[in-house]
Amino acid sequence: MRAYTPKDNVQAKAYYTDRFYVSPQVPRHDVSSDEVFAADLETISSKFTVNESYIEVGQMVVYINASDIYGVLELVRDELSYTQLTEMSAIDWLAKDNTFEIFYQMLSMTKRKRIRIKYSIQNGQAVDSVNKLFRSADWSEREMFDMFGIEANNHPFMKRILMPYDWQGHPLLKTYPLQGDEFAAWYEVDKIYGKEARDIIGPEIRDTANIDRYDSERFARLGFEQPKGTKITGDEEPTVQTYQEDGGVFLITKFDKDASKIVDDPQR
Amino acid sequence: MAQHKVNYTQDGGLPVALTSIDKIVNWGRSNSLWALTYGLACCGIEMMASGASRFDFDRFGTIFRASPRQADVMIVAGTLTKKHAEFIKRLYDQMTEPRWVISMGSCANTGGMFNTYATVQGCDRIIPVDLYLPGCAPRPETLQYGVMLLQKKIRANHASKAQKAKRLM
Amino acid sequence: MAQIKNRLTPFFENITFDREDNELVLNFGPQHPSAHGQLRLMLHLQQEQIVKAHPDVGYLHRGMEKMAENMIYNEFMPTTDRMDYIASSSNNYGFALAVERLIGLEVPRRAKVIRMMLLEINRLMSHLFWLATTALDIGAMTVFLYAFREREYLMDIIEGYCGARLTHAAIRIGGVPLDIQDDFLHQLRSFLNKLPQNIKDYEDLLDSNRIWLMRMEEVGTVSTEMALSWGCTGPMLRASGVAWDLRKEEPYELYDEVEFNVPWSDKGDNFARYRIYMEEMRESAKILYQTIEMYERCVKDGQTDLMAHAPKYISAPKLDIMTQNYSLMQHFVLVTQGMRPPVGEVYVATESPKGELGFFINSQGGPYPYRLKLRAPSFWHTGILTDLLPGHYIPDVVSIIGTTNIVFGEVDR
Ligand code: SF4
Repeated sequence: MRAYTPKDNVQAKAYYTDRFYVSPQVPRHDVSSDEVFAADLETISSKFTVNESYIEVGQMVVYINASDIYGVLELVRDELSYTQLTEMSAIDWLAKDNTFEIFYQMLSMTKRKRIRIKYSIQNGQAVDSVNKLFRSADWSEREMFDMFGIEANNHPFMKRILMPYDWQGHPLLKTYPLQGDEFAAWYEVDKIYGKEARDIIGPEIRDTANIDRYDSERFARLGFEQPKGTKITGDEEPTVQTYQEDGGVFLITKFDKDASKIVDDPQR
Repeated sequence: MAQHKVNYTQDGGLPVALTSIDKIVNWGRSNSLWALTYGLACCGIEMMASGASRFDFDRFGTIFRASPRQADVMIVAGTLTKKHAEFIKRLYDQMTEPRWVISMGSCANTGGMFNTYATVQGCDRIIPVDLYLPGCAPRPETLQYGVMLLQKKIRANHASKAQKAKRLM
Repeated sequence: MAQIKNRLTPFFENITFDREDNELVLNFGPQHPSAHGQLRLMLHLQQEQIVKAHPDVGYLHRGMEKMAENMIYNEFMPTTDRMDYIASSSNNYGFALAVERLIGLEVPRRAKVIRMMLLEINRLMSHLFWLATTALDIGAMTVFLYAFREREYLMDIIEGYCGARLTHAAIRIGGVPLDIQDDFLHQLRSFLNKLPQNIKDYEDLLDSNRIWLMRMEEVGTVSTEMALSWGCTGPMLRASGVAWDLRKEEPYELYDEVEFNVPWSDKGDNFARYRIYMEEMRESAKILYQTIEMYERCVKDGQTDLMAHAPKYISAPKLDIMTQNYSLMQHFVLVTQGMRPPVGEVYVATESPKGELGFFINSQGGPYPYRLKLRAPSFWHTGILTDLLPGHYIPDVVSIIGTTNIVFGEVDR
């Protein structure tokens, strides 16, 4: 019987996990253990709902509601001096509960603190663009759309950014295989030569251990290469590879190793 | 009156050398291989390094040209992605015959370490390639050795006959 | 000449005339000698002046984030080399640090010193490369040749350490794999002794050069607000009036023990950025001198550990693996199955030569990261071109792209 592979997550899986293995958890601290973060959280929670918050590896993580994101980012930028949106993207939890988790990584240069603002959206739901607050979100939201298919409302130019405009599929979804689907496999051939050329050019060779049986005869005989189809007897002459013909080349001096000077101190 | 005697038959005396057209054309072609600057990724940096002061590509007659119309050899230095694939074909078509292609680095040869959805698994799926240089990234010496091998290959051809265009399909 | 048939629609290279407002659309790239890689710019022009710029990236998108989800942590290390391939070790380091923070590892001091040396050598390499290419784009061929000459010295040193010129993979999670080779310090010192003179040579060639000044001064001015809003970091931000250097503000490794300055400027133009790169080279040299001393002190104190000791995550030293059964077993499991960091999330930023290089890792306790996001500074330094280029002229485009110091392995990942 063929082993069952789940279709909702086709990424690499650990092939063996101990039955009793319990992974440890990165320690999470209460927000009140850091006064700067505690004050920040106070300000945020006085205006918006905060679902969860903790400190993980020195950064505060705040879970909010999806509809509040524009307001929260405006608040932390204007009042809490988190002036830079360093990074934003999504995490695919479709296999677990059909949601995406969106995170915004913020930096305050005056307080030297970083916080991460997070929320979940349902599959197919759009997020609010924060491009008006942080111009950097312009490109990150496009990247998020490209990679996950999450659209941003009020975005001026919601198009793919990394993949070509006529690409199909969203590569970072867990359902998308690493080596691409059927469309990806033939993308360049279809585009340049047309579908009829598929037979001539042939499929991609994705097997890293692939060895062409007919090629390997010569490949394995380094220094004794023979033309394709030659019957190998075992007493072939060595084929010496030279970059110049024996008789020398018209008007070109041949490199003479003995006459050359080797500089061994690079810092001379 | 001073006698100025030139021994025309002695070595170096005769300002004329006899050779076949084939050889002289091939000599010219092989020693002025102008390369298209086609640095796509990391290998492009090594290609630049081979053009710079220490490795000095100019002594091979290889000068980097920015326009495919002036170039004889295309050095595909780096990862060819599916988004870019169309352009390599366009540039190759713009180069004049005779033209050669060196595929530099394992990405250009086979896709290399990037066995993913976004990379073309070897630029020979799109254009015909004359020479494959292994390595990630190949050293500048490798590129220069490759160019010397390409020169040898050019010299082995008949220049006088119209060269048949290389075809992928 | 017969051409191979293809399906591509012919386009009449690059130029579209718009009949109504006489606006010219110029396509720049993706294969352009001064685009520093595969940048494509669609420029809308009024005469020579740009009214709208539309950068198009992704021509080097190789799917690194996807690869990370399918690779064990140690396997991903060489892939990080190919991000910012001008300074590979700084990417290795960023990733290693992120995983170490996730696990909660402390690296031995000697490894830290070696890492700092590698990082600063990489910074010098990157800045020299930046100087070379930017000068070449602007037409100063001599500087290109000079700067590459110096860069080759550094490459030799690095090659002696890790065996590769470009793609180093010189740092491991938990430390460094090797001690530095015998003549490393000697070579580094003799390089550093020459460096001030070299930098002065470049400056003599450029600083009062009329062409250089005209292409650099008052061109490509980035205001502080714009830099902050676009998420600029590194020299881009420091040239725009914010003295923000992660080595100083959030010190990692031993950067809090060394003394160096953070050069900054409030001009925000190309020339300010150029000055910052030059000054940073001097500061890097200063740090390198101090790390040499620190290394010698480590040797004197007899600190020999190069890898952290954490049997759950890191293989034991080679000697133990070869002699002790348990170390061998543990090494086997770590290599075949990969380490399993705890469940959690971490975002760690380091100061790469280009700016803030961040790694966001979401681990679900498996040997593969559940999500890994690479925060590459160049991505936003390319994005800012959208707002920066309008109002400038075509020749300025080249010098602006030059001074933003973008590397496409990093932009597209
Ligand atoms: S072969 Fe290696 S060095 Fe060259 S482009 Fe590919 S990854 Fe970069």
